[in-house]
Amino acid sequence: MQITSEALERAIEELAKLPGTGRKSAQRIAIHLLKQTDEHVSKLADALIQLKKSVTRCSVCGTITDTDPCSICSNHKRMNGVVCVVEEFQDVYIIEKTNEFRGRYHVLGGTISPLENIGPDDIRIKELLDRIADEDESIEEVILALNPDAEGEATSYYINKLLKNYEIEITRIAYGIPMGTELEFIDEATLSRAFASRTSF
Amino acid sequence: MRINRLKLQFFRNHEETEVQFAPHLNLFTGPNGAGKTNLIDAIHYLCMTRSFVASSDQYVAHHDEKYFMIDGDFEGEIRSSFKVSCSYSRGEGKKIFVNDSPLDRLSDLIGMIPVVVLSPEDRKLTSEGPAERRSFLDSMISQISPKYLRDLIKFRKIRKQRNKLLQEYQGPLSMLKSYLEPWDVQLAQTGTAIIFKRAQVLEKFKEYLAIQYQSITGLNLEPTLRYESICDKYDSHEQIHEEYVNQIESNFEKEAEREQTIIGPHRDEVVFYLGDIELRNYGSQGQHRLFSMALKMAQLFYYSDELDDLPIMLLDDVFGNLDQQKIDVITEALTKHSGQTFITSASERPFDQEMFKGSEQNVWFTVENGTVSSKF
Ligand SMILES: [Zn+2]
Repeated sequence: MQITSEALERAIEELAKLPGTGRKSAQRIAIHLLKQTDEHVSKLADALIQLKKSVTRCSVCGTITDTDPCSICSNHKRMNGVVCVVEEFQDVYIIEKTNEFRGRYHVLGGTISPLENIGPDDIRIKELLDRIADEDESIEEVILALNPDAEGEATSYYINKLLKNYEIEITRIAYGIPMGTELEFIDEATLSRAFASRTSF
Repeated sequence: MRINRLKLQFFRNHEETEVQFAPHLNLFTGPNGAGKTNLIDAIHYLCMTRSFVASSDQYVAHHDEKYFMIDGDFEGEIRSSFKVSCSYSRGEGKKIFVNDSPLDRLSDLIGMIPVVVLSPEDRKLTSEGPAERRSFLDSMISQISPKYLRDLIKFRKIRKQRNKLLQEYQGPLSMLKSYLEPWDVQLAQTGTAIIFKRAQVLEKFKEYLAIQYQSITGLNLEPTLRYESICDKYDSHEQIHEEYVNQIESNFEKEAEREQTIIGPHRDEVVFYLGDIELRNYGSQGQHRLFSMALKMAQLFYYSDELDDLPIMLLDDVFGNLDQQKIDVITEALTKHSGQTFITSASERPFDQEMFKGSEQNVWFTVENGTVSSKF
């Protein structure tokens, strides 16, 4: 293809770096943007710049926020002594959507993974211990809500072991059958996990 | 389980091929290099996500093209009819679709369409190193137990993570131990599940093996096998787990020194015997060939008893080196197996035309230069 515009080419190149966007979709998006009004494109550009500028990490829980501490950490009603430990800030959004959990969060920012050179000191485990030691936080229970893959399990194990030295309750979320799913469509691994973490009726 | 229709695009020497299959016997004859094996290899792709011949997908695309596509219509006992497709391109890699929706993991396909392959490569099973037998065992069990396959994948990941720690850690050994612990716990858990399952399956499988070996050879030599793993007894999960934990503990310094995981099912071995002799070291070429053939026939009948759906059987070029008597034994066994069977052969001689003429159960195809046509 003959390059007719350096600017277009540059935009395509940058767009193609986005996750899930190949060169073809990047081309489509760039050409679409060219056809929009100046105002529309400026709005998009501004939103992207603000996204990076004003979003920070909450100094308490580590989730992303516009204000520090975040709205959850600064909400006194949510000081109920329970902290839910998750891998990434997306997990906070997922759990928040359920409206079930009324405590606070702690975002680790990853899981232990030697293959990616991530050790216990590279994720926010020390910050969790600091929070537990902090009397103002008065944490009584820590819920581990990490993914059930090898790295998530290793991280849960590591944290659980550290927390045994503190007088707090440590729990983990149960693995189960997705609601509204019939048993015959559940894979064997999920089903055996669900059996292992069964609850009394 | 059976495949009713197969469509290939740019798959090896098949630029564009579509074939309707018969429910029982499908025979492909034609000169070497005509594309017979490619047809059943394509079926294998739709069952196991990969070739049973080539080591890498990129060798499978047609020489002028950078992609290939395989489509199959299947019919089974539980899922009455469904479509499986496999696409590959150099840029996007391999994707599997079931009824046009993509699978998150390729491994989710395995077990959906049970398959058994008999090919000349099988002699490696008994004559080469333990890795060949582990991979036979893994592929056999994975098709009947999705949990086993997940455990295998998880175990591999845990082992990689653990090895990386062992290789790169520079500090004091006591610290290394505490870093290893979260992985050790999982290694023992997942590894135990794998070992227990292997032992259970082999215990049943060896009976099938004895029956098949005797029926193929007509000899009274008893084929046996011994499973060698981390312990002597495999009766209970708890027992294996306890032994596993102990061995991780007692081999800590050795593992730290060698910088790799040395305890676990990744080092397992299955030793085959004919009577008293150990096959790998003392078997003749003929014994190896017949033994590996018995292994695959045993897999076929083991699956038939174990699964709701009969497996699809693929026989690639195995009749060439056999005498008529053995051919008859195998053909008879395959007639007993009422599932769908695919056979490739360069020679037409071993096959009885009467089985195919006017039959709705069986079809004889001739293959030439990637073109398939039915003989009668
Ligand atoms: Zn916060």
